[in-house]
Amino acid sequence: MPVPSTSPTGHPPDQDLPAYNEPPRPKLPFSAGCSRIPFVLLVVFLAGCGRAPAPEPDLARASWEEIERLARGQTVDLLMWTGDPYINAYMRTYVIPTLRERHGITLNIVPGQGNQIVSMLMTEREAGKTESAFDMMWINGETFYQLRQIDALYGPFTERLPNARYIDFDDPFIGIDFQQPVDGYEMPWGNVQWILIYDSARVSDPPRTPEALAAWVKAHPGRFTFDTSFTGMTFLKTLLIHFAGGPGRLSGPFDPETYARHAPRLWRFLNEIKPYLWKRGETFPASVTQLHQLFAAGEIDFTMSNNDGEVDNKVLQGLFPETARAYVLDGGTIRNTHYLGIVKTAPHKAGALVVCNFLISPEAQLKKLDPQVWGDGTVLDLDRLPPAWQERFRNVSGRRFAPDRAAIRDRALQEPDATYMIRLYDDFRREVIGR
Amino acid sequence: MSTATLEPRTKTAPLRRLAALAVGAACLFPFAYLLLLSLARRWPFPALWPDGFQPDRWHDVLSGTGNLAAGFALSGLISLTVAALSTAAGYVTGKYIAYHPRRQTLLFLAYIPFIMSPVILGTCLMYLYLKAGLAGSTTGVILAQSMFAYGFGIVFFSAFWNPEVKALEDLVFTLGGSRLDAYRRVLLPVSRGPLLVCFFQTFLISWFQYGLTLLIGTGKVQTLPLLVYAYLNEANVHYAAMAACLLILPPALLLWINKRFVFNEMREF
Amino acid sequence: MFRTGHNDRPGALGLALFILIALLPIGFSLGYAFAYSVGLTGLLSEGPTGRHWAQLLREGEIWASFGLSLYVAAATVVLGVSGALLLVLYLRRPLRRGVLAYLIYLPLALPATVTAFLTYQVLSSTGYLARWLLALGLLEEASQLPGLVNDAGGVGIIAAHVGMAVPFFTLLFLHLYDSEKLDALTDLARTLGAGRRACLYRVTVPILLARARPNIVLLFIFVLGSYEIPLLLGRQAPQMVSVLAMRKYALFDLTEKPEAFIIALLYTALVLLLLIAGMRDGTVFRRGRETP
Repeated sequence: MPVPSTSPTGHPPDQDLPAYNEPPRPKLPFSAGCSRIPFVLLVVFLAGCGRAPAPEPDLARASWEEIERLARGQTVDLLMWTGDPYINAYMRTYVIPTLRERHGITLNIVPGQGNQIVSMLMTEREAGKTESAFDMMWINGETFYQLRQIDALYGPFTERLPNARYIDFDDPFIGIDFQQPVDGYEMPWGNVQWILIYDSARVSDPPRTPEALAAWVKAHPGRFTFDTSFTGMTFLKTLLIHFAGGPGRLSGPFDPETYARHAPRLWRFLNEIKPYLWKRGETFPASVTQLHQLFAAGEIDFTMSNNDGEVDNKVLQGLFPETARAYVLDGGTIRNTHYLGIVKTAPHKAGALVVCNFLISPEAQLKKLDPQVWGDGTVLDLDRLPPAWQERFRNVSGRRFAPDRAAIRDRALQEPDATYMIRLYDDFRREVIGR
Repeated sequence: MSTATLEPRTKTAPLRRLAALAVGAACLFPFAYLLLLSLARRWPFPALWPDGFQPDRWHDVLSGTGNLAAGFALSGLISLTVAALSTAAGYVTGKYIAYHPRRQTLLFLAYIPFIMSPVILGTCLMYLYLKAGLAGSTTGVILAQSMFAYGFGIVFFSAFWNPEVKALEDLVFTLGGSRLDAYRRVLLPVSRGPLLVCFFQTFLISWFQYGLTLLIGTGKVQTLPLLVYAYLNEANVHYAAMAACLLILPPALLLWINKRFVFNEMREF
Repeated sequence: MFRTGHNDRPGALGLALFILIALLPIGFSLGYAFAYSVGLTGLLSEGPTGRHWAQLLREGEIWASFGLSLYVAAATVVLGVSGALLLVLYLRRPLRRGVLAYLIYLPLALPATVTAFLTYQVLSSTGYLARWLLALGLLEEASQLPGLVNDAGGVGIIAAHVGMAVPFFTLLFLHLYDSEKLDALTDLARTLGAGRRACLYRVTVPILLARARPNIVLLFIFVLGSYEIPLLLGRQAPQMVSVLAMRKYALFDLTEKPEAFIIALLYTALVLLLLIAGMRDGTVFRRGRETP
């Protein structure tokens, strides 16, 4: 029920009244004080219209010192997914206070992700806004693709950040996002690989290929499912790559023919196991958070994550049992980088640049790597770091249940073109959920 | 009420008493459960009772740190403003419409924002609010919520302004009183109850609003319902329960104090 | 002498203000939605087209969505209103006096978000209900509990809506009971020789229902547009109208955004038709004088 009905008498008073007709009356000067109330509303309405933007000087030519000076005192609005308490805590207790202290920047986190970000910025552009309500956002492949599509990203900016010298943009897992070169329009923030998580107390020998997984699902009805959001769709992409014949088969720009040839196998595969999925595949969790909850509550035996380090973080939170383990499929899983983008019409670009630079600093990246904090893989190229930092990065411990990063790297698959993901989102609804 | 004694005395069957008890328990359950959940340290399946308590979540809120306290204050500010504006404006506009020859048509118009799904309307309104520079601002949220609350106020007061009230008002004029006298001596005293009821209602309309606040506030105006949802998405049921408590306890308290008032006053127009 | 009436200026200004801040924006927005839906505007629009309308109306999803919304609304009305009737008829006295007379007001303080959360907490397969059933030995495993949330029958959604509607209607009926002097009326009927059953079915229930009709129609309309509850308790397909509209609004395929506006327009048309129908037969604005 929408809001009005939630109030006690959310419905109009139940009062019997005949239509009250009366002849026209002579006009009267009005005197009652209450007539002013409407004006208050009007003033409120107009007050909102007068937020004059103070244009920033051309940042492209400004020195970094100048940018830092401009950033001081700015409030930067960052749109990001806020579905993980550890990530939120990292931002709330470390990033925000440090930025305030060192750079005089107030970082304001606004919850929002992927498609919401795109639709908001799209509507802003449609309304011809010259100044966005947001400055920067946490994005990923398909969002990057769409934001470029509607020309909503500021850039290129990455090379101007002092800490960018520690990043190897030639690494295809960093410099190419869903087959699209980042071209300086987004800053790598974290690098992760998709993994399956299971409870070793309940599953002794987890399936390592899609076929084995299908067999396991059929043998254990109701104990497996995936979400219809980013993580689950990454799972589908991994399967699609597998059915297309393995690594490299989906590289390059989106090819409708390739998709048309291989997608039906994916749908067949899914529809075959569908009756054995959680709730007989009649519904799917809408987010990976829900998927984790189902796993934690023991309703299902597997969950999944785009972050290979997540299992440690969730065990530490007490959400997952100590017996939870993570692994990658034999045929490999998708490894990708998540990024930070700056809105083309951001009112506080200087601040956003400084925030980006801080988030890729060795200090912030090292902290983020710790499973007790977040467990997110770094985007820094360790060989480029000063030796002291290299040492500290190599000595980060704390991974107990997640697979070793170096060991799974050779089973990393590149993200296919964003259009594959977009098609999967839609077609999954049509071909599987709708069936 | 006096008729109650005329009711044929049925035996107070134990079954009936049990049913009454069950209904009472059902009314209390949400509050008790949410409070318990917000205080629980962990509550794993299939336990019936939490395995420990962790009251420091509440410490954070009560000490004013953390965003729940801020969300509480913001929600309060927005809802009080919306309620004050829409009650006052609804009072005046409701009167005009009630006595208008085209009352029916005007009332129909007043119903429109009130019955629309806030989310669906919000998606359509977004463009305009962005154009006006109101999206993402507290002002914009107040204005958008007022559309609904104002519509409610009009509908509410168009029923209050009935021929009897009008006769009263006319009597003041007949006796030589001014318009100001009419309001101060007669109309406002007579309408004190309904004004309070409408204020309370519109306060709640705003206090509970989620979809519209999310859209028009672009997620930046973080009222309590938004925080509740954010915690739900974080899979943090304990925080979600605590945010829910903050959301429901103030209106529950007000309802408890004003109990009868909410419904019964309405009939006494 | 008449000195007030429709010439009172504050009132006229108020109406003007209402038109300015509510009706004009709504009218404009619906116009904008229509323009967007036929490709007249929009960042990615490619000129006027009826393609989006044709495509959406051809797909079964939208019809399933409206069907589900109508079904949930109807079920909520039937269950909610009859539940409240039962309570009032059976527990009138405790509801009027004593602690219950206070307690029954409390659920009114629960908004949709919290109701949805609670419903999930109680009805999910690891929820509070399942825990009790397990503890009492009525279930051997949590998975034996039939799906009560995110289920095909919309049980969770309906339960949450009914949970919100029952306290409200209970109070409304209690209040009507007094205002319509039903005690006196039934006494009269009984003196005239009517049995208890006849009193109930010929006097009490018809009067209560007739007097509550505006609120029943509004309840139906509100549930139709409900968002928070189906968002949390519904399935991925079909989704209730508001949820579907929001999904289409923020879809990955940006070229499908016009479909969100088409859903909004269809929904608006339906709601306005319901309102007009309610107005025509006097349900919403004026009650018929059914009272004997």
